[in-house]
Amino acid sequence: MQEFSFGQLSFLAGELVLALSVGELLLIGIFVSKYGASIVRYASIAVLLIFAFSGFILNGTGSAFNGAFISDDFSHYVKALIGVTAAITLWFSRDWLKRENLDQYEYSILMIFAVLGMGIMVSSGNLLTMYVGLEMQALALYVMAAFNRDSLRASEAGLKYFVLGALSSGMLLYGMSLIYGFTGTLSFAQIAIVLSGQESVNMGIVAGLVFMLAGLAFKISAAPFHMWTPDVYEGAPTPVTAFFAGAPKLAALALITRLITGPFGEISQSWVQVLVVLAVMSMIIGAFGALMQTNIKRLMGYSSIANMGYALVALAAGGIAGVSGMLIFMSIYLVTVVGVFAAIMQMRTRDGALEGIADLAGLSKSNLPLSLVMTALMFSLAGIPFFMGFFGKWFALTPAFEAGLTWLVVVALLASVVGAFYYLRIIKTIWFDDQAHTFVKAPRSLTLISSASALLLFPILLLPFVTAPARALIEAAAASLF
Amino acid sequence: MFVEMLPAIAFYILAATAVGMAFMVIASRNPVHSVVFLIGTFLASAGLFVLMGAEFLALLLIMVYVGAVAVLFMFVVMMLDVDFVEMKQGFLQYLPIGGVVACILLAEMILVGAASLVNPGAGVKFAEDGTSNIEAIGNVLYTEYAFFFEAVGLILLLAMVGAIVLTLRKRDGVKTQNISEQIARTREGGVELVDIKPGEGIGS
Amino acid sequence: MTDGLQFIAFSTVNSVSSGTQLSAPLSTQSAFLLEYLPVVMLFAIGLVISLAFLVMAKIFAPSSPDAEKISTYECGFNSFDDSRMKFDVRFYLVAILFIIFDIEVAFLFPWAVSIDKIGVYGWAVVMIFLFELAVGLAYAWKKGALDWE
Repeated sequence: MQEFSFGQLSFLAGELVLALSVGELLLIGIFVSKYGASIVRYASIAVLLIFAFSGFILNGTGSAFNGAFISDDFSHYVKALIGVTAAITLWFSRDWLKRENLDQYEYSILMIFAVLGMGIMVSSGNLLTMYVGLEMQALALYVMAAFNRDSLRASEAGLKYFVLGALSSGMLLYGMSLIYGFTGTLSFAQIAIVLSGQESVNMGIVAGLVFMLAGLAFKISAAPFHMWTPDVYEGAPTPVTAFFAGAPKLAALALITRLITGPFGEISQSWVQVLVVLAVMSMIIGAFGALMQTNIKRLMGYSSIANMGYALVALAAGGIAGVSGMLIFMSIYLVTVVGVFAAIMQMRTRDGALEGIADLAGLSKSNLPLSLVMTALMFSLAGIPFFMGFFGKWFALTPAFEAGLTWLVVVALLASVVGAFYYLRIIKTIWFDDQAHTFVKAPRSLTLISSASALLLFPILLLPFVTAPARALIEAAAASLF
Repeated sequence: MFVEMLPAIAFYILAATAVGMAFMVIASRNPVHSVVFLIGTFLASAGLFVLMGAEFLALLLIMVYVGAVAVLFMFVVMMLDVDFVEMKQGFLQYLPIGGVVACILLAEMILVGAASLVNPGAGVKFAEDGTSNIEAIGNVLYTEYAFFFEAVGLILLLAMVGAIVLTLRKRDGVKTQNISEQIARTREGGVELVDIKPGEGIGS
Repeated sequence: MTDGLQFIAFSTVNSVSSGTQLSAPLSTQSAFLLEYLPVVMLFAIGLVISLAFLVMAKIFAPSSPDAEKISTYECGFNSFDDSRMKFDVRFYLVAILFIIFDIEVAFLFPWAVSIDKIGVYGWAVVMIFLFELAVGLAYAWKKGALDWE
């Protein structure tokens, strides 16, 4: 047993900050009655940003608690993305929550809990750490989905998410217990040692691995475990959906990456097939499911299913190239999706928020800036060349092509052609249809975020200055896993 | 001879009870009965834990699951306004799909079981000295597993916050007694002396 | 009996459960299980007595039911409602808070047994854990979740 030392706590400094502040903010929220919600919100944003950059600032690489908690370049990079996305989502949910009479400080608390869980997930070096982190973020997300408890749709979304999430946790746990039973250890490093000593892979370990991947596929909403996604995206409050679409997906993908590069790196033949099947089904179901949607949040749900498929293609390729391809793709996807939801939340008339695609009709005539932003975002999601989305797909698919998965790349390209159709349909609705509504003036936070995200998607603006260091960061993050 | 067979007999009785009760949970018509069968499943599982020598976990299972979780389930069942006939139809309707899934899981479990016969894994370790079960857990839970223990504490806190956020609502028009306010009442706050002028009365 | 103790001492956290039935020595396990014989006897006696009452009532009691006799009796009136009614959601909140503190207490049992072995570190770990839940208690209390109104 490794002796406890305070030094190892520096590896989980970000998580410690979150855990300490969550207790304090809960008490501040309950005892400060007047501006409690605002104080807690801004404090939470600050804490989330501290969490995001703590990894880079302290830059400690190592592991704490007998290897249960890993801190490396990969975890720093992923946590930075998660923390920043969560902080931004929390910031722009303010106005929406106020208008829907939901402005309670518990929202911020739940967000911190979710991010804390994701941080633990991303850093997990042990089956138990992984499960504890996953459950923490999942529990917080279930409650956030049903946060608007007087709305029937939100309650249904929360319940659906909870039941299916509990099922997936059960599968994950079953897989983990099989792995534990057949290897006799919980630690990722030990599992890798046990597996490298075996000449043939035990059936029980393969079954365990498949169950674990199935459980995690639920969390990233990869088909065939995607059923909850459209309903939850539609039913949950829009800022919550914006949060769902980004950070939790990245956290679960990071966890899958850790599993397939760490403990199960030796037995890639057992998981490549699974990832390929998940990727193909996700891309196809995501592309075709979205075609008939009329609600833009549902459409984004299917879009996220398809995008998880592309990320899985990169992971299926494996190696440093595959992991960094996944990270590049997900970074660009996160920027896009935050912008898209900031734009969706601006769709509000005097009577309330709108979610139909048809409600966007003729937006170019009433609100030119929003239409330009939306167009840029949709072009990027569709992967039109020279938007960032194009490069995201490029970096996600190239490693797979080089790894000899040519047919998988072909499927991905076909799926993105189908996908381009419905993104372009939204653009057509915005620019060429008759005007349906005039939206009320959106709060500054939303316009700022959506414009910033749209601007970031023009690579010409930042090609040499930002992308080179960012790529170096991502390559270092991916290399730290191997 | 019989004594030698005892663990095997106990195992098969308990395992059969657990599986049978679990089946009755989904097969019984009345959800309240389902909860009772669920309690039976928990008890049989606790027996299996005892059989494996994990007495503390067995008693914990009874304390937490039978004592609290089953009660919670009962409340939830009582809270729902369920039409039992309708629910029964749903069960039969999904039986084929559920059956297929169950068969796949069963096949996988058999495969895994067969694999464990070929390669029996790491096996059971015995503690060398006479430490009892609960002490063995205590020795590692708060030291080696401290990180998980604290994380579980946070999850419990989160569960508390979540349950309160989702279910607690203030009702309007409820008359409540505020004892501290009553006791803190003074003569100045409670008695008002009004000088009533003749012929005018109080107020308007 | 020392063999039995050996088996009890099997530590669940460090070990692997697969193959228990096959790998544990049978005689040890039997000796261990014999310690549970009184419990089994208690269950058996309880089962026999309760079944005896049911069976004897079935055999000896006169029974000629008709529709009026077995219908729900409510002070001479026909029953107004189904006996099942919707519970208030507040029961659920009470139950879930109970579970949380129940688990908290359950975590204290092993601590109480092994506090002399785990030292200040183990003590501090549990104190942090209790503090986490104390924050929750303060929150629930102030929020009014413990009041019934």
